[in-house]
Amino acid sequence: MIGDRSLSDFSVEANGLTKYFGNFKAVDQVSLAVPAGSIYGVLGPNGAGKTTSLRMTLGIIDPDEGTSRLLGGQRPQSVRNRIGYLPEERGLYPGMKAREAIAFMGALRGLDWSEGRRRAAGFMTELGLERVIDEKIRKMSKGMAQMIQLIGSIVHAPDLIVLDEPFSGLDPVNQERLEMLVRRERDRGATILFSTHVMAHAERLCDRIAIIARSQRRFEGTVDDARALLPMQVRYTPRRADDPAAVAANLPAGADLRGDAWHFAIQDGDVEPLLARITASGHGVTGLSISRPALHDAFVHIVRQVDAGFDANPAIDAVEEASA
Amino acid sequence: MTPFIRSMFVVARRDFLAIVATPTFLLFLLAPLFMVGMGLAGGMGASQLADSARGAGRIVVVADAADVEALRSADARLRGAMGREPAALDIRIASPAAADPVTIAREKGSDTYAVMSGPLSAPRIVEREQGSSSGRYLALLAGDVQRARAAGPLPPVSPRFESLSNGGTSIAVQQSLGFGAVFIIFLLTLLLAGQTVSSLAEEKGNKVIEILAAAVPLESVFLGKLLGMLGVAMLFIAFWVILAMGGGMVAATQVDPAALAAAGKPAATLAATPATGWPFFLGIGFAYFILSFLLLGAAFLGVGAQAATVREIQMLSLPITIFQVGMFSLSAGAASAPGSSLARFAEVFPFSSPLAMAARAATDDAKAVHLLALGWQAIWVALVIWVSVRLFRSGVLSSGSGWKFWQRKRTIAAAAAAGEAVSSQLR
Repeated sequence: MIGDRSLSDFSVEANGLTKYFGNFKAVDQVSLAVPAGSIYGVLGPNGAGKTTSLRMTLGIIDPDEGTSRLLGGQRPQSVRNRIGYLPEERGLYPGMKAREAIAFMGALRGLDWSEGRRRAAGFMTELGLERVIDEKIRKMSKGMAQMIQLIGSIVHAPDLIVLDEPFSGLDPVNQERLEMLVRRERDRGATILFSTHVMAHAERLCDRIAIIARSQRRFEGTVDDARALLPMQVRYTPRRADDPAAVAANLPAGADLRGDAWHFAIQDGDVEPLLARITASGHGVTGLSISRPALHDAFVHIVRQVDAGFDANPAIDAVEEASA
Repeated sequence: MTPFIRSMFVVARRDFLAIVATPTFLLFLLAPLFMVGMGLAGGMGASQLADSARGAGRIVVVADAADVEALRSADARLRGAMGREPAALDIRIASPAAADPVTIAREKGSDTYAVMSGPLSAPRIVEREQGSSSGRYLALLAGDVQRARAAGPLPPVSPRFESLSNGGTSIAVQQSLGFGAVFIIFLLTLLLAGQTVSSLAEEKGNKVIEILAAAVPLESVFLGKLLGMLGVAMLFIAFWVILAMGGGMVAATQVDPAALAAAGKPAATLAATPATGWPFFLGIGFAYFILSFLLLGAAFLGVGAQAATVREIQMLSLPITIFQVGMFSLSAGAASAPGSSLARFAEVFPFSSPLAMAARAATDDAKAVHLLALGWQAIWVALVIWVSVRLFRSGVLSSGSGWKFWQRKRTIAAAAAAGEAVSSQLR
């Protein structure tokens, strides 16, 4: 529930979105299902088709194939006032004052001008921008203008907020503020859908992610699901290293000795058996680290597989089924 | 207020304020002063040129001394009755030493249009141009002298002149009023509607267009922009109307009423009435200006929206201006030939319709037809905006759905097949 409105389970339901620009297939059968009240990341390298997918999802451009339904199965055009959108290409009228620019964006979405001005002042004060409330946009730094536009996209308290590359161009302090704002909007009950190619933000913020590469969706699930695509990395240093062959016999095939430490990968369920084998072998332990791969590693892995022409779908489908 | 209209007004408000609240708007507002100034300067120059040309021109008669007085009297009688006053008459006494007419005609220092010599019963007339009015006037002069001599002294004619002060406005004057309406609407549209061609350039340049396209229907963006510009146009007109009225009132206090009453011609002009009456004519003329502005503005907005750069917009200005002038010519033709097929065509053709219908209001007292015309023009405003938006979506936003001809052909083919099936069922 958001306010007094009831939503279906998904705030965004896009199915089989496809878009051609001339002969180039920019987006190929991309589907997105964003649960209501969640933070959902669309990740992908530059030119993967993220922006076009978001634009089709919001009805800014029409897909050549596929459909998009928002906020309870409605056409994007019919729920415009309940959506907030920050486009990838930032756009503000340079001659407008910050407060007016925010109120204008709110007014476009049905918010009263005076209420828009009032809320603009509140948001700007909260984000430490109170000194530029009545400053013209042309006099602001790029980062400040970007924050103004972000406020403009949420000033009308939308149920669905779509942010296209919201972190690009922001300094670390403003990135932190933006993350805070995104979480707060989610806590208010809004659904947030954003695209990025910076994994750290997605890892910290997202409940679920989709990875788009080469025009197609290659992965959909939670951040942990993505990380689980890669095995865990183990670094083991035995106490007694006089007989490497004997040590290797207790480790998985492919274990690689570098200096005095062995490096190898294991699957999730192999941790306990490995520990039991090491303990029983009597070689002892002076160092042992088992680390899960980061989202960054999973992302790079998926994109490289796609780039190499490897069809990662069977494995990914298995993950999707597991995470569904 | 529906969301569509609301968003339209939001866009209009932003555009209106963005234009009006700038120092450059003052220049825009005062632009007609430059135009009037240039016009006055040009007019005065042309007038001086015409005066000097008129002063330099002459017609020459080489006559016997006995005929000089009779010729002067005849010239005095006839000159005032000519529609266009002949050039100054130069009479020279004929003598063996006098120059021949061809030499006189070629004398430097003045333009000699015609030279008459020889006996008045069979004069020789040398003309600069064959069949010129100057030559004919000299022949008339000789004939008049001859006739006066033949008839002998006659009692002077004492005519009594009467003028029609309430005889109604002539068709020619009404046509002039119609032409005036066409000209004013054309001029205002040329000055103001052409601005819309670059109206979307700002949004495309600073990428605001995506925010607008995501937030509101593009139709309301286009309509809002037109409305904003129309607001600017209204402000412009109101400014000049108030200024003109103020100037008129000040002038009225300075002019002697007796002198005004003595001036017959201005009084007659003021008495001229369009066929539909002044209040209706002014009101409908204003309505046609709005429709003309919206129609041409929508077309220019649509064309300008396709332009990718400022240079392209500049390149588009010429065909747009030529198109406007074309519509003016068509409507001016309609104003000069009311009821003709040309006038009917101009009244129906959407882009000339507001101008031609305004002209019609001056010569035809039918009023209901104007409601029909306003509705017709409004439909075309909507149609032009609809097409402009489709073109914008498919061309600029790269959103082709719904505007592909093959899809339409397929739809039409499917509809035709369905129709065929239904009709075969009925058979």
